[in-house]
Amino acid sequence: MERRQFIKILGMSSLFLHGWLRNLFAAQGPVVAVGQGTDHAGITRKTLAALGGMQRFVKPGQTVVVKPNIGWDRTPEYAATTNPLVVKAVVEECLKAGAKRVKVFDRTCNDPRRCYASSGIESALKGMKNVEVKHLEEERFQKVALNGKVLKEWELYGEALSADVYINLPVAKHHGLSRLTLGMKNVMGIMGGNRGSIHKNIDQALADINASFRPHLTLIDATRILTAHGPQGGNLADVKVLNQVIASTDIVAADAYATTLFGLKPADIAVTRTAYQRGLGEMNLDKMRIVRV
Amino acid sequence: MKKVTSARISQLLFLALFLVLFLMTEYRGSDRIVAAVNGFFRADPLTASSTMLAVKAYLPLLLPGLIMLVAALFLGRFFCGWICPLGTILDLVTGRIRKVGALRALAGRAKYWLLLPLLAASLLGVNLAGLLDPIALLLRALTFFFHPLFGDTVRGGWRSLYGLVWERRDLLDPGYRLIRDYLLPFRETLYPLAFLSALLFMLILFLERYETRAWCRRLCPLGTLLGLVSRLGPLRRTPAKLCADCRACREHCPTSFDQDLLQTEECILCMECALHCPSRRVRFRFAGPRAQAGPVMERRVFLGGLLGGVVLARGFRFREPAAQAKLLRPPGVRDEEEFLKKCVRCGECMKVCLRSALYPALFQAGAEGLYTPLVVPRLGYCEYNCTLCGQVCPTGAIPDLATQEKQRQVIGKAVFDKNHCLPFAKRIDCIVCEEHCPIPGKAIRSERVELTGFDGAKRTVQQPYVVDELCNGCGICENVCPLEGKAAIEVFRVKDRTPLKPSSPAAPPPQDPYTDPYAGNS
Ligand code: SF4
Ligand code: SF4
Repeated sequence: MERRQFIKILGMSSLFLHGWLRNLFAAQGPVVAVGQGTDHAGITRKTLAALGGMQRFVKPGQTVVVKPNIGWDRTPEYAATTNPLVVKAVVEECLKAGAKRVKVFDRTCNDPRRCYASSGIESALKGMKNVEVKHLEEERFQKVALNGKVLKEWELYGEALSADVYINLPVAKHHGLSRLTLGMKNVMGIMGGNRGSIHKNIDQALADINASFRPHLTLIDATRILTAHGPQGGNLADVKVLNQVIASTDIVAADAYATTLFGLKPADIAVTRTAYQRGLGEMNLDKMRIVRV
Repeated sequence: MKKVTSARISQLLFLALFLVLFLMTEYRGSDRIVAAVNGFFRADPLTASSTMLAVKAYLPLLLPGLIMLVAALFLGRFFCGWICPLGTILDLVTGRIRKVGALRALAGRAKYWLLLPLLAASLLGVNLAGLLDPIALLLRALTFFFHPLFGDTVRGGWRSLYGLVWERRDLLDPGYRLIRDYLLPFRETLYPLAFLSALLFMLILFLERYETRAWCRRLCPLGTLLGLVSRLGPLRRTPAKLCADCRACREHCPTSFDQDLLQTEECILCMECALHCPSRRVRFRFAGPRAQAGPVMERRVFLGGLLGGVVLARGFRFREPAAQAKLLRPPGVRDEEEFLKKCVRCGECMKVCLRSALYPALFQAGAEGLYTPLVVPRLGYCEYNCTLCGQVCPTGAIPDLATQEKQRQVIGKAVFDKNHCLPFAKRIDCIVCEEHCPIPGKAIRSERVELTGFDGAKRTVQQPYVVDELCNGCGICENVCPLEGKAAIEVFRVKDRTPLKPSSPAAPPPQDPYTDPYAGNS
């Protein structure tokens, strides 16, 4: 609740503070910024700027959690984990905006030490001041009442819950069950317990969690995407280089746009459809403002 | 503690080295692990001789052990007095244990009754020496019991601290990280046989009640082997007997002067006698072949020992057929027989396994397989890109393979149990196993099936199947299956463990176009 209000207030204040932003928000529907180019750090920065810059989300002295996908023991070129250059650019922007501390973590599927090392994220952020690349600690999970359709409660990661700003940083890729893994599925990285058990009803379950836990910003890494044998791939033939990043405060809109990169329609993805039907965000492309940079 | 002698310094250095190597037997961000971590085993003459006897071939990995054996010929049991970490631990604690006098049962030829059957069994292809090898005993006690216990305690404390002060604990985080990264086991694993391993170690300490270094003198098969060899060597202490006018050696010597004559095969070369001799008479020097110093062993013991070996080798062969189905060996092990000959039960692979896939066998592999490593997928799985167990195995029982080769090694094959598997048994979606299967082309795939659910509603469900030609039995599917208790997919042992074909997935079955929007245009 607090988080949502916080964003609203921020959005409102920027309306008045920056005249040029008014135009941006004047149009109906969420803004989706899409950056394209081979300089992955550069396009990440430009895309963030198109959304109003990181200072729109991060205020000096705040604690930020950046949650990339570090789930698998794969090197960056396999597109199973978030591009370390993108992660680094986002973290740097957070620091520039005055963040007191940036925490980066994920609940991995393979051995966490291997995932952190292979993904290149650990080494990319190594030595940065006030940045912590952390392994999860069991005791920090807290039961959260979700009162959702299928999930009444679930254990979520304390450091994600207590962060002032939460930035969702998934990579866009194929998934055998939900067809695609995008922003909304990335929330699984802060879920405790037996995550696999939500697969039997994955679209409703993800909507339940995303309804109560809302990232301030979702930035989808589509610099290269995994088109088959997801979510961990392992075959370069399945990887397509797109050199794009997509950012929005509307997680559903970001997901919906990213879906098109796979040649699919947003409504093809049950997770997106369900979230849209439950009012978590916009999935109709013509109702979004798509800003290309 | 005694005064500082060269032997003592050497002992402490080697003990420290042993502990450091123990802690280094852990994944720390690099795919290769320092080769030296198994150094103590590779330089262990008992490991070397029993393993080479068993496989009847020369194993280059164990050359240091052979060199040690030759060194013992010239220098006696210096290993026991200067290097052996278990001996050092005994020396460190023995001072605090009050002695009640030697145990008669152990005084005689008991040690030969241990060593000979072990070596004879090796000759017959059953390598059991590791069960009683001092280095292995110590490493297993540390790996299975003390280190996990230590980890548990520290982590438990750290956790409860969180309960007390919550996020404020973060202030101490840097300090804790150091401890966590260098001293604690990364994962919290409970091992079967932990208790037995600790018990054996405690028993060895307990024997110190009877006399100093009781285990070393009376039982240790490694020490006995070294003692036997040293009898033949040229190194001699003079005088060989207690001097009539002094007899102080009896007080100073920790091992070999409970009789008037020096017991060569029990002398650990600690040099205490030479250092403390009031009249500086004691010398250790090389001379011609040794004068006769009492009988080595009677023929009775020798023949009995051989016979014991036959009994061990043949009598321990029984295996429970049902337990065989899940008898999964570490990656790269293709022939069970050969594996049993080479595995010295040192525990290194179980210590290093980063996903807790490996556990010591109880009786799954028969009595002869006690303490050999097994993959238990429901507890941990073999990490696709990891090759650590092969790297630390001192005898090559688990081969050290390049990552890509290791990935193709077959541990077993996964099999679905449709009575449990959710898409079949309950007609609802799941495929967590497919998601986790690390094989690039996926050894688990699924087909979309139109079904009427048990609630009467029509729906599409994804039903999984295994592609045998791709499955390497890594076990992650069984590990992550979200069902409680028994998994709906299990890895079973297969006889034919021919490695998978390199890459290019063997004739992929028709792709579901629904799941692969780019099929055909790459
Ligand atoms: S069993 Fe697998 S995961 Fe464990 S050490 Fe061996 S290779 Fe690594
Ligand atoms: S054991 Fe399971 S996860 Fe491992 S390769 Fe076989 S099917 Fe895939």
